[in-house]
Order: sequence, then structure tokens, then C-alpha cells
Amino acid sequence: MRIGAPKETSRGEARVALTPESAKQIQKLGHECLIETGAGLAAGFNDNAYRDAGVTVVDSADALWQGAEVVIKVREPSDEEAARLREGQTLIAFFWPAQNEALLEKCRAQGATVIAMDMVPRISRAQKMDALSSMANIAGYRAVIEAGNNFGRFFTGQVTAAGKVPPAKVLVIGAGVAGLAAIGTATSLGAVVRAFDVRPEVSEQIESMGAEFLFLDFENSEDSEDSQDGSASGGYASPSSPEFREKQLACFREQAPDVDIVITTALIPGRPAPKLWLEDMVAAMKPGSVIVDLAAEKGGNCDLTQPDERIVSDNGVIVVGYTDFPSRMATQSSLLYATNIRHMLTDLTPEKDGVINHNMDDDVIRGATVTYQSEVTFPPPPPKVKAIAAAKPKKKEKQPTPEEKKAAEASAFKAQTKRQVGILAIGGALMLLLGQIAPASFMQHFIVFVLACFIGFQVIWNVSHSLHTPLMAVTNAISGIIILGAILQIGSGSAVVGVLAAISVLIATINIVGGFLVTRRMLAMFQKS
Amino acid sequence: MLGQGFVSAAAIAASVLFILSLGGLSNQEKAKRAVWYGIVGMGLAVFFTALGPGIGGYWWLIPMMVIGAGIGVYVAGKVEMTEMPQLVAALHSFVGLAAVFVAWSADLERRRVLAAQAADGVMQEFSAFAALVATKAPDELTFLQIEVVFAIFIGAVTFTGSVVAFGKLAGKVDGKPRQLPGGHILNAGAAVLSLLLAILYLNGAGFWTLIVLAALSFFIGYHLIMGIGGADMPVVVSMLNSYSGWAAAAIGFTLSNDLLIVTGALVGSSGAILSYIMCKAMNRNFVNVILGGFGGSTGPAAEIEGEQVAIDAGGVASALNDADSVIIVPGYGMAVAQAQSAVSDLVRKLRAAGKTVRFGIHPVAGRLPGHMNVLLAEAKVPYDIVLEMDEINDDFASTDVVIVIGSNDIVNPAAEEDPNSPIAGMPVLRVWEAKQVFISKRGQGTGYSGIENPLFFKENSRMFYGDARDSLNALLPLVD
Repeated sequence: MRIGAPKETSRGEARVALTPESAKQIQKLGHECLIETGAGLAAGFNDNAYRDAGVTVVDSADALWQGAEVVIKVREPSDEEAARLREGQTLIAFFWPAQNEALLEKCRAQGATVIAMDMVPRISRAQKMDALSSMANIAGYRAVIEAGNNFGRFFTGQVTAAGKVPPAKVLVIGAGVAGLAAIGTATSLGAVVRAFDVRPEVSEQIESMGAEFLFLDFENSEDSEDSQDGSASGGYASPSSPEFREKQLACFREQAPDVDIVITTALIPGRPAPKLWLEDMVAAMKPGSVIVDLAAEKGGNCDLTQPDERIVSDNGVIVVGYTDFPSRMATQSSLLYATNIRHMLTDLTPEKDGVINHNMDDDVIRGATVTYQSEVTFPPPPPKVKAIAAAKPKKKEKQPTPEEKKAAEASAFKAQTKRQVGILAIGGALMLLLGQIAPASFMQHFIVFVLACFIGFQVIWNVSHSLHTPLMAVTNAISGIIILGAILQIGSGSAVVGVLAAISVLIATINIVGGFLVTRRMLAMFQKS
Repeated sequence: MLGQGFVSAAAIAASVLFILSLGGLSNQEKAKRAVWYGIVGMGLAVFFTALGPGIGGYWWLIPMMVIGAGIGVYVAGKVEMTEMPQLVAALHSFVGLAAVFVAWSADLERRRVLAAQAADGVMQEFSAFAALVATKAPDELTFLQIEVVFAIFIGAVTFTGSVVAFGKLAGKVDGKPRQLPGGHILNAGAAVLSLLLAILYLNGAGFWTLIVLAALSFFIGYHLIMGIGGADMPVVVSMLNSYSGWAAAAIGFTLSNDLLIVTGALVGSSGAILSYIMCKAMNRNFVNVILGGFGGSTGPAAEIEGEQVAIDAGGVASALNDADSVIIVPGYGMAVAQAQSAVSDLVRKLRAAGKTVRFGIHPVAGRLPGHMNVLLAEAKVPYDIVLEMDEINDDFASTDVVIVIGSNDIVNPAAEEDPNSPIAGMPVLRVWEAKQVFISKRGQGTGYSGIENPLFFKENSRMFYGDARDSLNALLPLVD
């Protein structure tokens, strides 16, 4: 199949769906790659780089749409582009089918198959083609960088000769992929990061990234277990109850005077972004503080947000509402997006023979396909697998009080003492019994035997696990000590005894020599790095 | 001819040296010196005993020792490290057989001395062991007989048991548990019969009782070990190791030789501890392992969801190239495929690229305690990156890639997650906590325990099918 990437037509879009690197991988699947001339320039890939990777560079968009059987893009097609689609052609791009119904209908009418990268289900197997996540990751990173750019102080706390600098305090609202990326970036710059999310199960992830999870103490009398569980299937947040919202806003209000940077990433699929950072909170912030609203495209989480604008509030708080964070890092986002596309193509080409097998039974492919064989296949059936396992209610284990602990320890000690004394008593009684019937010479040997066993137990416990094989070999060798028995007997007058003893000497010697030598050989192999 | 004083002094020296030799195995570097303690101890013991009072038959003794030493040198030099379990088992069988022979000889000597004393009614000059027997009082002689019975029983079980273990480990006997109809009833019957024979013997029956006793014990050893499967061999070999020690100790009692008693006790307790560690690592008790079979499950096993997803060398290589920390978990499959040097090459390459590479070794991985360590050492993997289960188990969560090579049950999450699993409670390596797990495996079969492994179905697991060595060799050029 010929896979082609046209130049993006929407204004300000710098990304490209095919990179030289991904082209090489796609060619390994048996496909051929095309690219429109200049398509990668804005992302930092020139035509020659593509040519070096074996990609055919075509002169015009027309030639590309004509030549390619599968068109890969970043943005949804413009009307003009949609008109170029033909029957049997496949388009892979961000499509936003829920918002673009007319476009969807148009593509269906043209008979093209459309795979929407934004519809890839959020299951673990599909993570490698989850372009939303990879773009969100970039957005989260870039949000911190933009914030830093607008923020007049260091992120990290320092003590310098010129005075002490307190660390910047960053609040991240919404710990999805973008939020987590922002947390990671801000903590690695040295800021003190707090984060909030309506899904309590992400607290672990937040803490693992080095931020403090703002826990909302919210008890609902009717249903206390699910009260603040704002997670729904698919790994996205769902709307919360009014009471919960109030509690949440109160929490933010408390934070507002304290934090220097706020990064909001709260989105609910298919709805306008929830307003979480209200005007009074902005007013409560210190002058020079920065708010970066990653939800600007959907109306913003902050009351003051203007999409695509950077505004300054009356009290000097900067509100950044850019919507093109991934495009601002076109090289990185192209690399990641192209890899997502490449993984999608890998799944579409299971035999690696350059033939696309559009398997509608596959959860991932089915989920992402929005038109297929002149039919709209959106919305897909719900995914079978839940993205994040719901947090299991933690069973509260009762911490024993110090007294209880002490008592338990004492009783354990007592039980152990009892057992040891018991064993010693039984052992002693047995010895006494044996001493009554056994001759004195036997008892002497028996003492030696018991002591040797004790020493053996003490010594062997200290042997390193990794030397257990040499231990076996060496004990093997020294158990050849049985040769002494044979030596003591070999000089006997009896012929039978002599022969038996001689054989014993022979095999015991094999044991001794073989055992020691092989141990030595093994031990010599153990080397330090 | 040296006096008894020399012999005793040598015995004390040898005992101390043997203890130091075993104690030295606590650490790889000390161990290299410790093995010399053992060798010197053995040399002293043999030399002074052979030159001690009342020893003769040098015309027999010296050639036999020379031949034995020659065979020993040859075997020790030639054996492959993957064949260590067989070698160890074979050496155990020698000790067992020698114990039987020495015990028989002891009884023959006893009979000869008694017969001579009865015939003459006067003290006669005996040489060697016979001289010692001649000085014994009647109750001491009864004890001698008991000791002979013990020595023969333990020695004979060790002998055939080790021979069967050798066969199974060398692949000459089918590794599956196999028993004659009647199962353990036969063993119990043979044991009861042995007891009867022992009583007969103590009451003065002829030498034939000891021969039949040995034959019955031979059968028990054979049948017991035949009923135990391949992967339980670490326990079996440790147990036989222990038995060979106890046999030596029993002979020591028979011959009134303290050095034999001490050494036998050391070896016996060593084997016992190894068996205990192995059993603990499988969360099974000793009797359960020896009598064969896994404990019955208490309910239906948890259903496994998901599918096994295969991956090719390219996929594994790119994950390895991206990884910072890698843990390799080898099992018996690595030994079977002789993949250790390929593993070592891979490790060298990854380490050269600045990645942290470590090995996680489960105590029962392989067919011999510590088997994996020896194989890796042979392939020149430095021992300080080869870690025990307890040392590494908490690190899996922070590891990028885990490669499981030829192990199955020891990485089975069912042991921790499914209380109904037959292996529930067995300590396992928690490889599934890593970001990605690759499992190098020949096919879709189950492990030794015969239970399905949910690890293979986890979302972060990928199956890297094929012979371990071929797979790794295909992987090597792709890793940079």
C-alpha cells in the first residue's frame, strides 16, 4: 500500500504525520511512503531527509491525494481535503467525530474509511497508538515551560549569596496525562507541586511523580464510598455533584493566595470544560502569578481565559490560554504522533506484507474507525476493558497499640521459650534413655555426633545462596571421607572384605578428587564485575 | 607406621579444616581459599589414617586410589556446568554404595572375629578393623549391629536414589513422576520388611539378612525417587546429599571413628538445611515433596483474562534500547537451551550501553540449589549482579524491562493473587510489577506444576517464543 502524508493546511499547524524515522518503520511493514514537498519543514524535517529515508516526495497535494491509498494527517481534513477522498481510500487523522458530524457524513459519502486517532480506546494494548496521550504529554510539558516563561522567579528554591529564593508553588488541577506531565516537569525544575483530581485512584500516580495530592475530605451520607469517585469507564473524569464541586472550590480558594502557578487540565469528554478557577480566586492570587489553562480550547477552566490569548488580569495575574501547545513543539510532537500512526499501521498490517487488513473485530481498530464501507461506525460499542482499575476500598487494618504489641511480643517469646524448653526436655529424656541402654563408648561418639550436627547447622546457614552448588559439590567431596572406613578394613585378612573395601576405596577416591576439583573449577568462575 | 596419637591429631585437624571449608562458602572470595582447607583436611585424614596402626593391604589401597583419582580428575575436568546436577547425584551414589560395602565388611569382620574367638577360646591376633572388633564387649557388639543396619539402609537408599536422580537429571530416565502400581504402599511394605529383617539379624540370623535388607533398601531408593518429578530435583538432590552424610556418620559409629562421625554430621546437616531452604522456596513441606504431587487446591482457580501476545526480536530489542534498568530471570529452560553464554553476551552489551542489568534468582530455579549462579558464573557474568529473590523482589516495580528466560512457576503471580492456586503462598519473583516483561519460552505449555501462568496474559507481558539461545542470538545484533 502507498501511505502518504500531505502538508497540513490549517493555519499555524506545524506538525506532520510522517517523519523520516517512522517512514523507515512503515516501509518495514511492506508499505511505500509518500510525502508532499515541504510538509515536514515546519517540524524540522526537510525533503532530503525524507528522500534519504526512502520516501517519495511528490510536488503537490493533488498528486499526493491521488497517489496515496492511505492518507495520514494530523488535523481533521478541511472541506477541500474531504472532497479529495475517494472510495476505498483510508484516512488516519485526528477527527473529533462527535464535533464534526457534517464532515463525518461527507467522508462517508465519499466512500472513504476514516480512522480517528482521537477515538483510539484507552486500553493498555492501545497505549502505543494513543495520540491524545502523547499530545497531552507534550502539552503538559509545554504548559510548565510557558508558565516559566511568564513567571518572574525561579522554580527551584535556592540559597544564594544574594539572598534566599523560595521555591515556586505550582498547583496542577486534573491529573490526566497532561497534568502528570506538568507535575513531572514542574517537580524536576524544582518547584513545590500540589495536584488535584476528582478520581481518588490517581493519587498514587500523583505522589509517584513527586507532587502532593490535595485530598478532599468529602463524606456523602447516602453513599460515602463513591462520593468523590469522579472516574468513569475509559479512564476519563465524569461530572461531579454540586456538593462535591462546592467542596472542591473551597479547597482551591484556600490554595489561591499561596500558589504562584496554576496549571489547569480538567476536561470532561463531550462537555465544555468545567469552571474551576473562578474570578475571585484569580483576584486572590499574588501579582505576577501565572495561570496556564490547557482546557482553553473547550472554554477554559479559568473564568478569565481567552482562547489563544495571553491576558493579564487587573491584579497582575497572567492567564495563558494558548490552544496549540503540541504544535509549538512541532518536532517532538511530530515524532511522537508519527510513531502513534506507525503503531496503528502495524496493527492494521498484521502480516507485515504491505496489505492492510481492516479487522473490525479488533477492539482498538473497531473503536477508532468512524466510517467504514460507506457506513458511519461512530460511536463505537463501549470498550470491554476498563482503563484504570477502580480503586479498591482500602481495608483499614487496625494498628495495634504499643501495649498490644508488647503483649503479642511477650506471648510469642513465651511460646518460643516453651517450645525450646519442650524440645530440650524431650531431647534430654531421650539421651538419658539411650544412655541407660547404650554402652559408654557409643555415648562418647554420640556426643561428638550431636555437637557436629550443631556446628553444621550453624555453619551452613551462613552459606551464600549463590554458592549452594559449590556447597553440594564440596560436601560431596568430604563425604568421601567414608574412604577411611574402607582403609581401616582393607588390611583385613578376609578376601571378601578386602575386595569390598578396595571397591569402596576406588569409588570414594573418585568422589573426593572429583568433588574437590569440580568445586575449585566452579569457584574459579565466580568473578566480580 | 604412625602411632594412634598421630591419627587422632590428624582427625582433629581435618575436622577443623572441614568446618572452615564449609564456613568459607559464605562469600565467593573466601570460598576460593576455603576449598583448599577441605582438600588439605582430606589429605591429612587419608594420609595419617592409611599410615596408622594396624593398616595393611597397601597393594590394594594405593592402585585403587590412583585409579580413583584419575577418574575423578577426568570427570571434574570434563563435566559441563549444565551437567552439574547429574554429577552431584552420581557422586552421592558412590558414597551410598561405599557405605553399604563398608557396613557389609564390618559385619563380615564381626562374624569372623566371633567365629575365631569361639573356635579357639583364646585371644587371637587380628589386624586392622578386626582387631578393634575383638576388643568390643557384647553390648557394644549389639550396638555395632544396629549401626550396621542403619548404615546399610541409608547407604542403599542413597545409592539407588542417586542413580535414579542421575538418570532423570541426565535425561536418561523420563523426568515425569512414575511409580509402580501400589505407589507408596510398596515403599511402606518394603520398609516394614526391612525392619523385620533387621530384628532377625539382631537376633543372630545369618549374613543373608543384610543382603536382603540392602536389596529392599535399594528398591525403596529407586521407587521413591522415580515418583518425584524433574523440577523437584533440587529437593531430592539436597536430600540425597544429606543422606550420604548420615550414611558416613553411621559408618563412623560402626567403626568407632570420630572423624567420620563429624564429617558425616556436617554433610548431613548441610543437605538437610538445603532441603529445608528448597522446600520453603516452594512453600511445600518436605514430606509433600518426597511423596510427590502438589497439594490439592481448595477451590476453582481464578479465571485468566486477556490473551498471550507474541513479540519478535525487533520489538524486544527496541524495548531494551529504551530501557535503563533490566532484570533477567533465568530458569531451567536457560540451562536446557544452553543459552547462558548468549545471555552473558547480551548483558555485556547492555552494560556497555550504561544500563543497569541484574539477575533475579529464585532459590529453586534450575535442578540444583544454586545451579543458575554456577551457569552464569561459567558464562562470565559477574556474581555481584546476580541477586537472590529477597534482594531483588522489591526492585521490580522500578524496573523497565524484565526478561524471563525459561522459567515459569517461579514467576507465577497466581502464587500471590489466587488463594485457590496449587502454588498459592509460594514465594515468587514479582516480575509483573515491571513496566514490561518479555518471556522467552519454547511454546505455550505450562510449567512443571502444570498450572496456567497468568503472567503470560498480563497487559505488560509479551511472549518471545522460540528456543532461548536462538532467540537471544537473534536479539543480540539488534541491541545497540
